[in-house]
Amino acid sequence: MLVIVVENAPPRLRGRLALWLLEVRAGVYVGKVSRRVREMIWANVEDGIDQGNAVMAWTTNTESGFDFQTLGTNRRIPAEMDGIKLVSFLPEAKEESEQDDNATT
Amino acid sequence: MSQPILPPLKPIPIKDRVSVLFVEKGNLDVLDGAFVVVDKRGTRTHIPVGGVACLMLEPGSRVSHAAVALASRVGCLLLWTGDSGVRLYSAGQPGGARADRLLYQARLALDDAARLKVVRKMYAMRFKEEPPARRSVDQLRGIEGVRVRKMYELLAKQYGVSWKVRNYDHTNWGSGDIPNRCLSSATACLYGISEAAILAAGYAPAIGFIHTGKPQSFVYDIADIFKFETVVPVAFRVAAKKPRDPERDVRLACREVFRQTRLLRKIIPTIEEVLAAGGLNMPEAHPEAVTPAIPNKESIGDAGHRG
Repeated sequence: MLVIVVENAPPRLRGRLALWLLEVRAGVYVGKVSRRVREMIWANVEDGIDQGNAVMAWTTNTESGFDFQTLGTNRRIPAEMDGIKLVSFLPEAKEESEQDDNATT
Repeated sequence: MSQPILPPLKPIPIKDRVSVLFVEKGNLDVLDGAFVVVDKRGTRTHIPVGGVACLMLEPGSRVSHAAVALASRVGCLLLWTGDSGVRLYSAGQPGGARADRLLYQARLALDDAARLKVVRKMYAMRFKEEPPARRSVDQLRGIEGVRVRKMYELLAKQYGVSWKVRNYDHTNWGSGDIPNRCLSSATACLYGISEAAILAAGYAPAIGFIHTGKPQSFVYDIADIFKFETVVPVAFRVAAKKPRDPERDVRLACREVFRQTRLLRKIIPTIEEVLAAGGLNMPEAHPEAVTPAIPNKESIGDAGHRG
């Protein structure tokens, strides 16, 4: 299982992602692909994300059963705790006026 | 009062959880119904407590009342630990949720013949062979002690660790040598999970069969079954590398071995199997027993979870 969520992504990237994955909500893509395809898709995201940000989560055989990686800046950042990946949510910064990403939580 | 919008919280089975998480610094609190650690700068890190078997709280953590209540409602065992998991105190998941199981466990422990059978079963599971016949619990304990010392030596040699003797001073953490320290933090992880499993299965941590007289006697009994196939090799392997941060490396390696051995899947069935070897039946309700006025709610968690 693979889930990609993009925020503030250019329409060409969103269209590209919809080639392989199902867009179940705006910017939320779901699919089931192999590791190599996943890496290929992530390379597309890396090239096309522009000013936006993205997160990709997929099932693996870690203890929590999945892993994820991010791209671009977001108030949520990955945090590692003795082998388990969690997410830290930064407090509101002065310069940031980004809307809270309710769609992704 | 209006109806609550969300369905009530229920614990999920131990086997579907992540084994253990450690919280070192920060305030544990509940925000919008979620369990969070808030650090000095206000960064919030969500901890999925409902999906964790036990949470180790190291020095430097503070817990709010709401956080403890939430952990207890989702069946996550909170363990307050000293430096690097040498355990001090625990709560968060009250034990003794099932009278029938407590009585069963107590009956097995009180009946000499049954206790011997349980101890023999533990021995057999641990060393993968039947113990010699016609030995008392005391004699078996002696044989076990010798075998354990041998296994430590053997594993130490196998991983190239210089090993003298298992020794630790629980009042002074930094005192042990590296292999002993690695072993202590590895076994602390295993004890935490074992205690969570024993409580979740509805048994009492204090009623042990080989170990007695400690609040966690049964925890040591159960953890010993898995110790040499999981945490001891891990601890020696880490110690052999002379790591800069042994505790962290041990935890990462423990997590990996718990996953590989599918420990959380095996641990409750093993508890049941060991106790079943005693050959006694679960006590039946006595004839004049009256069923509870308010029936128990259905739960998807384990028997000892208070759903």
